[in-house]
Amino acid sequence: VVVKATTVEKPASAEELAATLRDAAAQKLAVVPVGGGRARGMGGVLDGCDVELHTSRLDRVLEHTQADMVVSVEAGITLEALQEELAKAGQFLPLDPFNSPGHTIGGLLATGWTGPLRLRFRSPRDFLIGIRVALPDGKLATGGGRVVKNVSGYDMMKLHYGALGSLGVIVAASFKVFPKPLHDVTVSSGGGWNAATHALSTPLTPTALELDSDGRVLARYTGSPDAIDRVVRELGWKAVDPSVWTVYSHRAPERWARIAVPRDALRRILQALPSGSEWWASPGVGMAHWAVNVEASAVREIRARVEAAGGTLWMLAALDEFMREVGAWGTPPATVEVMRRLKNAFDPDGVLNPGRFVV
Amino acid sequence: VLPESVAEQLRGVVGREAFIDSANDLRIFERDGSIEGAIPDAVVLASTTDQVAGVIKVAAENKIPVVPRGAGTGLSGGAVTIRGGIALQVTRMRRILEIDPVAQTAIVEPGVVNQELSLVAAQHGLFYAPDPSSQKACTIGGNAAENSGGPHCLYYGVTTNHVLGMEVVLADGSIHWVTGDAPDQVGLDLCGVLVGSEGTLCAITKIKVRLLRIPPSIATMLAAFPSIETASQAVSAVIGHGIVPAALEMMDNVTVGAVEAHYKAGYPTDAGAVLLVEVDGTEESTRELMESIGRILSDNHGYAMREAQTPAERELLWAGRKGAIGALGRIKPNYYLHDGVVPRSRLPQVLSAVGEIGEHYKLPVANVFHAGDGNLHPNILFDMRDGDVLHQVESAGEEMLRAVVELGGTLSGEHGIGLEKNAFMPWIYSPDDLDAMHRVKDILDPKGILNPGKIFPDPSRKTVHLAGRTGLAVEARWW
Repeated sequence: VVVKATTVEKPASAEELAATLRDAAAQKLAVVPVGGGRARGMGGVLDGCDVELHTSRLDRVLEHTQADMVVSVEAGITLEALQEELAKAGQFLPLDPFNSPGHTIGGLLATGWTGPLRLRFRSPRDFLIGIRVALPDGKLATGGGRVVKNVSGYDMMKLHYGALGSLGVIVAASFKVFPKPLHDVTVSSGGGWNAATHALSTPLTPTALELDSDGRVLARYTGSPDAIDRVVRELGWKAVDPSVWTVYSHRAPERWARIAVPRDALRRILQALPSGSEWWASPGVGMAHWAVNVEASAVREIRARVEAAGGTLWMLAALDEFMREVGAWGTPPATVEVMRRLKNAFDPDGVLNPGRFVV
Repeated sequence: VLPESVAEQLRGVVGREAFIDSANDLRIFERDGSIEGAIPDAVVLASTTDQVAGVIKVAAENKIPVVPRGAGTGLSGGAVTIRGGIALQVTRMRRILEIDPVAQTAIVEPGVVNQELSLVAAQHGLFYAPDPSSQKACTIGGNAAENSGGPHCLYYGVTTNHVLGMEVVLADGSIHWVTGDAPDQVGLDLCGVLVGSEGTLCAITKIKVRLLRIPPSIATMLAAFPSIETASQAVSAVIGHGIVPAALEMMDNVTVGAVEAHYKAGYPTDAGAVLLVEVDGTEESTRELMESIGRILSDNHGYAMREAQTPAERELLWAGRKGAIGALGRIKPNYYLHDGVVPRSRLPQVLSAVGEIGEHYKLPVANVFHAGDGNLHPNILFDMRDGDVLHQVESAGEEMLRAVVELGGTLSGEHGIGLEKNAFMPWIYSPDDLDAMHRVKDILDPKGILNPGKIFPDPSRKTVHLAGRTGLAVEARWW
C-alpha cells in the first residue's frame, strides 16, 4: 500500500476551485470537499483522500436585497456569518443544525443537516432557489436563479442537495429568506411524549418542538403575539430564555446517529433503544439524534427496526472501525442503480468523496 | 403514422378500445392550453402502471416519441406531440388510493383532478396546498410533471414542496418508487429531480403528497389602487414588512373589467389595479395580520378595501381571480400568456416594460398574476382570425420575457418551459449549465423518446428572433 500525503487546496474563487478539481480529476486523485468540517464524520470511510478541497476562502455574500427576501452567497460562508448579514435586514435563514457553530452553507447543502426549525420551515430543499456547482471536468454549472419561484429547466438544486458532494462541489447558492418573527417565545415542560404530542395537536403548530430522552420538552412559537400568548397560556409550561436553542445546537456526541422515520413510528423506535440511551428528537418531523453508546451489532439491530418502519439510520460520526462494522447508510434504495448512472455522468472516475456516499 | 406492427403492439398493451388512431379522434389531442399544436400518430388511454410501462417499452423498442398527458391544461406545450408519436393519456388512472389522516398524506393516481383531492381530503380536515387556477380540471400527475404553482404557493410552496414520493416509469419501461415514507431517504433525491421534468425523464404513475390541516381561520381582502405601479409598491411594502400572506394576487384594470362583467364579484372597475390578499391561521393571527396589511395597503394608496364577510363572498372573490383568464374572452377570443418571474422589487419596472411592449405592438395586455412571488402573467389578447397577428403576438411575448430576464428574472415560474420557451433557455443558462442538465436527460432517457423537443433549445425548429442579443443576460448574472 502506497500512502500518499494529502494536499490541502484553498482556492480563492469558484473558477480556481473548478480548475483545481479538474486537474485533480484528470490525475484520478481522490478529492474530498471540505466546508466547515462539522460533518466530516458523516458517511462511509473514505477509500482515499489525495486532495482536500476547502471552500473557506469562498466566503462572500454575493447579493442580498432586503425587499426581494433573497440572498446569494458563496458556499464557504459560515451559517453564523450569513445570519449576521441577514439580521441587519430583519431576516434569517431558518436553519439551526447540530454541531454548530461553524457549518458552512455549502456543507449544510451537501449533507442536508437540519435542526429543530425543520418542523415549521422544513429543509433547505424547500428554500434553496439557486445553486452553482464545480464539476470534475472543470465546468461550473448553475441551476435555478434568484427568484422565489422557478421551473426553468431541471431542478439541479435537488440533484446536489444532500448528495454529499458526490456529483460536484457546491460553490454558491441562493436562498429564499424569511422575516424575523414579531414574537418568539420558548416554553419548556418535563412532560415527555404526552406533553410533546399534546403541543403538536394544538391549532397553532409550534415552529420547533424538541423532546429529550430525559423527558424535557422545548417548544418554540413564532408569529402573531395574541395567538402565541393564548396557546402558551393554555399550555401552562414555563417560559425559557431563547438562548437555550443556541446551546441546544452545539450538541454533537463523539459517536452519534440520525434516525428518520415516519412520524407515527418514532416513539416506538426510540422506546426500542437500549435503556439509558441518550437521544433528542423532533417528534413532529420524525427525526431523532442518538448518542450511540452500544456495540455495532446493537446499532445494526436498531437499524433493522428503523428500516422495517420505512426509515433510515445514518451514522454521523464514529471511529473508522465502528463505521465499517455498522455501515454509514444502511440498505441502499432499490433505485441505487439509477443513482449510480447519474453519478457516473458527472464523476466518471469516481474522484469525489470515494467510498463516502451511497453512490 | 405508426407502422401497423407498432399499433398492434400498443393495442396488445392497452386493449383495442383504448387505442386511438383515427384522424378525427386524434385531433382532440392536438393541443394543450398553449398556442402551438401537433397531432399525435396515436393515443393510448392507459389504465394501469403496467400499461404505462408496456407502452413505454414498445416506444423504446421502436424508438418512437411518447408524451405523457393529463388533462391537457398545460400552458407551455408540454403535452404537445411536436415530433409525433404516442400521446400517453393517463386520465383513466384517477383513483385516490389512500388518504392517511394521521400521517397527513395521500397517494393518488396521476389522473386525479387537483380540486377533487382537496374536496376528498376536506372530509378529514385536510387540504392539498398547490392550487393552480385550472385546478377544477388539471391533474395531480400533470402538476407534478410541471411543478405547478398557484396563488397559495406564496406561503405554502409549489408542487415539489408537497410531493413526498412517486411511482414512475423510466424510459426503458422499468417501474420505480422514488423516495419513501421518512424524511431524507438514502441517496440522491431522484423524486426532486423528476418533479418538474415535464415528461422528459419519466412517466408518473402514482404520487404521494403531503396534506395540510385546513386552517381554522381564513381572511380575504380586496383593495383597489390607482395604478399598477402603486399596487406593486404596496406588494413590496407588505413583503418588506416581513409579512408573507397565504396569497397576494394582482389584477389590472383590463382584467378587472372583464372579470366584473362576468362574475359580478364586486371588483372596483374604476381601479388601475386591485390586490387580492389572503391570510390564514388562528382567529387571532388572521385578525392581527389583516389589520397590519390593511394599514400598509392604505399607506400605499390602497382604497375601497373590503374584507370578505362570508365564505360565499370569499369564494366569489376567488372565482373572479381563478376565472380571470376565461373572462378575458369577452375582450378577444384568444390569449397568449407568459409566466416570467422577477425579483419582487422589480415588479414596477417589469410591468411598465410589459405595458410599453403591448402599446408598441398595438396589442391589448391584461395582467393577472401572483404579485407576492414576483410571478407575472401578462395575457396578450388577440383574435387568431386577424391575419398575421400571431407573429406579432409571439414577438411581443418574447420581448416581455426578455425584459423579465434583463431584470434578473427567469423564464417560467410555474407553467414550464416546454415547447414555448425552450429557444430562450440560453438567455438564462450558459452552455455549461445546459450541458449539466442534458447529462441528466441522456442518462435517464438515452434514446430520447420521452417528450422530445421540450425544455432544451431545438435549433431545427425555431429561430430565436432576438438571437443577436443572446448572451447578455448570461453575462449580467450574479455569479
